Amino acid sequence: MARSTASGPDIVTRGLASNRLGVPSVVFFGVAGAAPLTVILGAISTIYAVVGNTAVPLVYFVAALILSIFTVGFVAMSRHIVNSGAFYSYISHGLGRVAGVAAAFVALPAYAAMQIGLFGLLGKVASGVLEASGIKASWFVCALVGWFLIAVLGVLWVDLSGKVLAVLLTAEITIVLIYDAIMIAHPAGGRVSTETLAPAQLLTPEVAAMLVLAIAGFVGFEATVVLSEEAKDPKRTIARATHWAVLLPGLLCGVSAWAMSVNTGAGNIVQAAKDQETDLVFALVTPYVPEAFINVGYVLFLTSVFAAALAFHAAVARYQFALGRERVLPRLWGVAHPRTGAPMLGSITQSLLALVVLFVYWATQTDPLIHLFAWGTTVGGLGVLMLMWGASAAVIAFFIRHRRRENVWRAQIAPLLAFLLLSAVLAATVIGLGDLLQVESDSIFNWVFSAAYAVFAVVGVLWAVIMRAARPESYAGIGRGAEQQVLPESPSFPVSHSLPRTSDVAHHS
Amino acid sequence: MLANSYYLIAHDDRTGRSRLHPRASGLGLASSLLGELMLYGRLRAMTGDLYVVSQEPPGDSLAHRVLDLLIAQPQHREIRTWLAYLAADATDQVGERLLRAGVVEPVTRRKLLSAQTLYLPLSAEQRNAAAWESIRLSEALAHRRSMGLADRALIALVVATGLTRHVFAGVQEQRECMRQLPAIMASLPDDVVQLVQYTEAAVGSALAVGRR
Repeated sequence: MARSTASGPDIVTRGLASNRLGVPSVVFFGVAGAAPLTVILGAISTIYAVVGNTAVPLVYFVAALILSIFTVGFVAMSRHIVNSGAFYSYISHGLGRVAGVAAAFVALPAYAAMQIGLFGLLGKVASGVLEASGIKASWFVCALVGWFLIAVLGVLWVDLSGKVLAVLLTAEITIVLIYDAIMIAHPAGGRVSTETLAPAQLLTPEVAAMLVLAIAGFVGFEATVVLSEEAKDPKRTIARATHWAVLLPGLLCGVSAWAMSVNTGAGNIVQAAKDQETDLVFALVTPYVPEAFINVGYVLFLTSVFAAALAFHAAVARYQFALGRERVLPRLWGVAHPRTGAPMLGSITQSLLALVVLFVYWATQTDPLIHLFAWGTTVGGLGVLMLMWGASAAVIAFFIRHRRRENVWRAQIAPLLAFLLLSAVLAATVIGLGDLLQVESDSIFNWVFSAAYAVFAVVGVLWAVIMRAARPESYAGIGRGAEQQVLPESPSFPVSHSLPRTSDVAHHS
Repeated sequence: MLANSYYLIAHDDRTGRSRLHPRASGLGLASSLLGELMLYGRLRAMTGDLYVVSQEPPGDSLAHRVLDLLIAQPQHREIRTWLAYLAADATDQVGERLLRAGVVEPVTRRKLLSAQTLYLPLSAEQRNAAAWESIRLSEALAHRRSMGLADRALIALVVATGLTRHVFAGVQEQRECMRQLPAIMASLPDDVVQLVQYTEAAVGSALAVGRR
């Protein structure tokens, strides 16, 4: 090692690093799923309208804070497990494989629900854009076209290339900032009010439950740890990038939600959101900007929703692929197209599922914005929240077993804090889900989704027990990712003495 | 030579493009370069690490270069590290070696802003030789002929990187070939088995991340 420290990194290290990702690339990867314009124009106005509570800006800041605390322990743990893909692999490392499979069974419907929910928004927005240019098309037709494009791109595994995403994302953020500035510059009653930011609102149970909606807007930030083996400095790059991937959307969404309420006045924002639906922001800024600016915004909104739906589609397919590789799902799901690497069956499964749901909504004439988009993301968000909660417990358990040279804040305090906070949010969500979905208090939708997740988790537990009995070799590999067969449990240890011809071994370091 | 055969199997003989995801075929080539050194008796693998057991230069210049690098960089031992490092330019390196051996010709394809050199068999003779590589393997498997270590290692790499379907596509006795595979794997020495397993894992990770 003396050699490499004396004259900087050696040729191998440099060769490997030249191809690796820095902080910005990793942040893009994480934020791409949570396309900010989708959340700001689609989700925030829908939350204002559906929940009818003005604490939305505050909720985003608090959600970002909670997730930052969660990120501390999560990233610390990611350094100690190889091929850390998704939440379920953390849970199986920290809480055991049975819990891991249960988590995987919760994750599948959760991410699928979020992705399908996005089609509701996509259809609605596309139909609005077309109507403005004089073409009449129902949301269903638009959603079907979007579905078809995503199904084809998913099978071909055409990821929007990093550059395209970067350009779109930069444009989105720019236009959001401009809209925000305009809305704040024209406050209702001539006075910028901070009423919607008052912390006292946090004490109402409804607000705690709204946190799940905010958290749904961050989904995707956890994907950054997948790149830990591709990052320039696995320790620092990933940690920084993950924090950025939480804080950036958090600030952007929080400020935008606040800016909307400044412009309408805190008392009127809910009614305005109900009237304008996803056109809310555009309606608010229209009096102050040239028309072209609004049109650009609509187009970016559409591309943003599409990119988010595509990113989620890829995430769902990849999740099924990972589970197929580990034989938790049938092995056919673990087969990738040899040339493109597309997880074929996962992609097709998700597409078919989405198609069925779209047809059901069309046949029953159900509202795409509230009952598909809002419900899909809320219910999906609940599942992801359960996963985060499980993962935060897994981080605690993992670091109790091995401290692994992480300091007390990262290994114990932050994970415990995150676990307590997420427990509170989860409890509030399960209790208050009916309010979030705006159903009657005697409706089965108050509890059916939570119950369904519980059933999925129980099935996962049973499946894990069956696997342990019937296929112990597959069971041993759960949560170990693609490297399962070759990863020794303990960290590397010196073995040179056990080599047959030690004298010929080129080095003794 | 292992890497030459792997290259010819992993690339389309008409277009010169990789039949696999470029990162997967790069890893397969990196692995076969390390495998060559193992077959030459220069390199061994233990619990995921590589050890140079003989510094004697091998006859081939590319193998010599890789061995020199392994000797000069003793602080890097992990198979994963070396696979990732060698994969970056393995395609060009092995392509150049095939060019020197007269098996392929260089073809430069210009795109909008960049030019890429592909190595592909052009003459009828070269094409036959290239296509023969995969036919040879499937024939030997189908007729249960005994194979040398190099060919058995090649089959293991073909399977690990996902070229199985391509190699056995044109054979009638496809099932028979597939049935032979476990026995072939079991017959490999432990070093090669480890190399193959790490290669399979690296390909899996590369595909799972899906970054180009």
